[in-house]
Amino acid sequence: MMQTAALALAVPCAAILLGGLLSGIDRRLTARLQSRQGPPLSQPFLDVIKLMAKERMVTNPWQAFSPVASLGAAAFALVFFALQGDLLVILFVHMVGGVFLVLGAMASPSPYSQTASQRELWQMLSCETLLFLIAGALYLTTGSFRLSELSALPEPLLYRLPLLFAAFFFALTVKMRKSPFDLAGCHHAHQELVRGVFTEYVGPYLGLLEIAHWLDIVLYLAICSLFWATSTPAMILLPLAAFLAVIMLDNVAARLTWRWMLGWGWGAAFVLSALNLSWLKG
Amino acid sequence: MSEAIPVVLLIVPFLAALACFVIRSSACRSFIVIATAAGLAVSSLLLQGPLAPDAGLRWAGIIDPVITGGDFLLLAIMFFLGCRYRNFLIIMLTASQLGLFAWLEFFVFAEDQGHALFAVDILSLVLVRVVCLVGGLICLHAIPYMQAHEQHQNLARSRQPQFFAVLLLFLGAMNGLVLTNNLAHFYFFFELTTLCSFLLIAHDRTEEAVGNALTALWMNGLGGLLLLLAIWGLYSQSAQLDMGGLVAATAGNPAALLPLALLVLAACTKSAQLPWQKWLLGAMVAPTPTSALLHSSTMVKAGVYLALRFAPAFAHTLLAQGLMLAGGFTFFAAAALAIGQRNAKKVLAYSTISNLGLIFACAGIGTPGAVAAGILLILFHAVSKGLLFLCVGTAEQQVHSRDIEVMRGLCAQMPFTGMIAVLGMLTIIVPPFGMLLGKWLVFEAGADHVVFYLMLVLGSSFTLLYWVRLAGTLLASGQTTGFKPEIKPFLTRFPLAALGCGAVMLGLAAPILYGRLLVPLTSLFPVGRAFSAGQAGMLTTAVGSFPLIVVFAVAALIGLLALSGVSKAMVGRKGTAYMSGANTRLPDHFVGPLNRPVRAVVENAYLVPLFGEERWTLWVNLAATGLLFLMLGGALWK
Amino acid sequence: MGLIDKLISTARRRSPWLLHFDCGSCNGCDIETLACLTPVYDVERFGVVNVGNPKHADILLVTGTVNLRNREVLTVLFEQMPEPKVVVAIGACGLSGGIFREAPNVVGGVDKVIPVDVYVPGCPARPEAIIDGVVLALEKFREKSKGKGEGK
Repeated sequence: MMQTAALALAVPCAAILLGGLLSGIDRRLTARLQSRQGPPLSQPFLDVIKLMAKERMVTNPWQAFSPVASLGAAAFALVFFALQGDLLVILFVHMVGGVFLVLGAMASPSPYSQTASQRELWQMLSCETLLFLIAGALYLTTGSFRLSELSALPEPLLYRLPLLFAAFFFALTVKMRKSPFDLAGCHHAHQELVRGVFTEYVGPYLGLLEIAHWLDIVLYLAICSLFWATSTPAMILLPLAAFLAVIMLDNVAARLTWRWMLGWGWGAAFVLSALNLSWLKG
Repeated sequence: MSEAIPVVLLIVPFLAALACFVIRSSACRSFIVIATAAGLAVSSLLLQGPLAPDAGLRWAGIIDPVITGGDFLLLAIMFFLGCRYRNFLIIMLTASQLGLFAWLEFFVFAEDQGHALFAVDILSLVLVRVVCLVGGLICLHAIPYMQAHEQHQNLARSRQPQFFAVLLLFLGAMNGLVLTNNLAHFYFFFELTTLCSFLLIAHDRTEEAVGNALTALWMNGLGGLLLLLAIWGLYSQSAQLDMGGLVAATAGNPAALLPLALLVLAACTKSAQLPWQKWLLGAMVAPTPTSALLHSSTMVKAGVYLALRFAPAFAHTLLAQGLMLAGGFTFFAAAALAIGQRNAKKVLAYSTISNLGLIFACAGIGTPGAVAAGILLILFHAVSKGLLFLCVGTAEQQVHSRDIEVMRGLCAQMPFTGMIAVLGMLTIIVPPFGMLLGKWLVFEAGADHVVFYLMLVLGSSFTLLYWVRLAGTLLASGQTTGFKPEIKPFLTRFPLAALGCGAVMLGLAAPILYGRLLVPLTSLFPVGRAFSAGQAGMLTTAVGSFPLIVVFAVAALIGLLALSGVSKAMVGRKGTAYMSGANTRLPDHFVGPLNRPVRAVVENAYLVPLFGEERWTLWVNLAATGLLFLMLGGALWK
Repeated sequence: MGLIDKLISTARRRSPWLLHFDCGSCNGCDIETLACLTPVYDVERFGVVNVGNPKHADILLVTGTVNLRNREVLTVLFEQMPEPKVVVAIGACGLSGGIFREAPNVVGGVDKVIPVDVYVPGCPARPEAIIDGVVLALEKFREKSKGKGEGK
């Protein structure tokens, strides 16, 4: 019991540190790819600390409600993951974060945030379906949705789920808000919708959402590590490789339209996953 | 004592309906409705199962002939309606039912002795409480609603007596339907709900209303015919009409599969499964209490009730597989069609069809866990969806439109109704509330079937999308001036508040309910995976676990934190939306040409080309028909 | 000054997010401002980000002459920025209206409409001067924190 409580406290803290660090690596690496020096690794933390100390300002009270709910859901999902819970429950809880992000963004009359909310819904649709398919694959290989069963597998899941891993990479790109799928709120400033769903979140609220975003990325990378859960170095290397690949892609790709994302990107990913699932069954 | 309660639940609504019809005073009518709703609620809570094996037998001598006579009367009325509106289809369907029923009654059915008249198990208990508690609340809400409704119509003579009479009659019919143990009696109540549905849909007497009511009548008439054929087939297999006995006798009997398939088809028409969704969508022209009562929380549940009741009889056959796929397809396709809708009531209707599909799929999966999930879904769906219908109806009377875009910013105009509506939507899509628990149980039970699982995943993502979009639209800060403040009578607010509390808190009861459901279900099913009901506060299936109490506690904690954040935010400076700096004094306007304010109009992306019903209904119906034929074929295979 | 205050004060000085608003400049100063973000000067080294959204910005950079039409927009953008915030006026026009100050539709420099903390002269102002102005603006944050406690 005590152990669980300690884990429930330690996991979100560790994940915040890790997520912020990853974000720092991302910014520095991107700067290097653009032949700039880039900010220090601690930059994301400084940004968030500054944001938390800024003035609160809302156009609709839901903008104050949503970030807390979003962050809470993200942290809770991670704790569940660390406790080796039911992957479906983890995904359901994780989904709540996205729901509230959109609700808060839609609560503002700003046309930028409204338009981006619609796009965010499409992005959620494409990510969530793929994650649930991964849960299905987990069930078909281990006979259970519990993550604790995974360690008993003799060989890495990746051998049996190569197509699903490709689909997961697509979901990771969408979730990390990286080109070519950064439609609803780019990680860099300046895009056609200002900052998309984040446009109307001010100061501390933006800070909370930024932390929630870090936690989401950590959860995705943790899910990525499930693909090679048989050896500890691979569990670290595989997500890291995926993360670096996403950043490289971000720097070489232009933004695509939502039609392309939903039609080709998600359509292909879904078909690949379905194929993979069907041969698992056989 | 316990034996008398089913009779009370049956007789009281009929008497009250009669009283409503005869007494024209509005105050008396309100009193009768309130008293009946309260009485039904109390007696449904007092009802305990299981009853004695000879429950109600001593009244059989009276009830049997009354119901048989009632059957002929009902069919005659429907036949008359068919003639009056010159609807050939209805005439044909009712005439064939009349003939078949007369033949069965006089030549086939032997005098049935010794079978209980009523059976109360956990499934019927859940249904009875849904009917009496949710249905009762909807009736209360209908009192002020119908007064406002008639104000716009300038009627010479109020038509509320008929309306409330039919509403109460319907409650009685539903109670009979779920409590009876005799399949022939079930048929009577089934037909009675069909007739009530016709009368309620046609209530406004507009051309559209009557037309849609006739559609409902013929589709449900078809369902009645199929049911009657199924009864004939089942009776010829085991020579009894006792429902519990029939389930036990037909399980594993390949010859009984065809009548069972007809039974399932009848259930599908009643629950408006694809391709019979048209009548439910058309029924949305009716006043909102009708939609809430018949078309979301109770009547459409009659179909899934029948399928779940007979699920053990066809578990693990090709018929069950076909039903699972058809249900899964309805879940997915109706959710997709809901995305393309900008009529709020139609979104609710499609969502109802979609969720009923999920429940049918549960009956098709045919494991105790899946059937228990289906029963839980019935309960949670009735509460949440009944609530949403009432909210939309209340909103409709304020904004005079069903268009989602007109309801944009409803929470600013009607804080109470708007917030309860948003809460109701959250209880459908967000853990730890009931609907999501039910869906989680279906995920766990259906993951063995890849095709079904794919449909499940797609369907639930679509569901999430249209609910979040609708909730966000209601929350949007729109016009904040120039509307009437929300002052609603107590009878409007009370049902909303009660259903809202129910939708939030009922999820907590899920583990207990699930455990109690599993025990009797396990004995009914021939094979099933080993599983345990788990400890208190934890929902456990064979393949996973949902720590409900923990999730509930954390969700409550996060909710409180977020609310305290809101109260802090209310103190500070009020911001304006980013409009590239060209703001005006109006919140959603920017400075346009000649310094005139221009409204920044953003509408939801309904993606009509991708999800529009005009484009897809035909194809979806074809696919659903194909799946139903596949199911029938599965029944004939052996 | 407690540890948390110190941390916040450091974070503020090392994470200035900019909003650049062109009030009607000849684009000379704008080009020089944007040049700061290029690899040559790379101000992101110091955490500077051009956010293009007043709701996220800490520093408002204004170039060009304020006139009767864009006065409102400038005010709205300034008001939409959450506290603590500083304003940097860039170039001769931003400082005083420049060569346009006698025109009938011109109000004058930025400080006629909103309070300005740092003035960066030049026509156009050089990128080095602009960066210097931003660094001076960062010092203003420290003063503002002292003046108003936590800056709320």
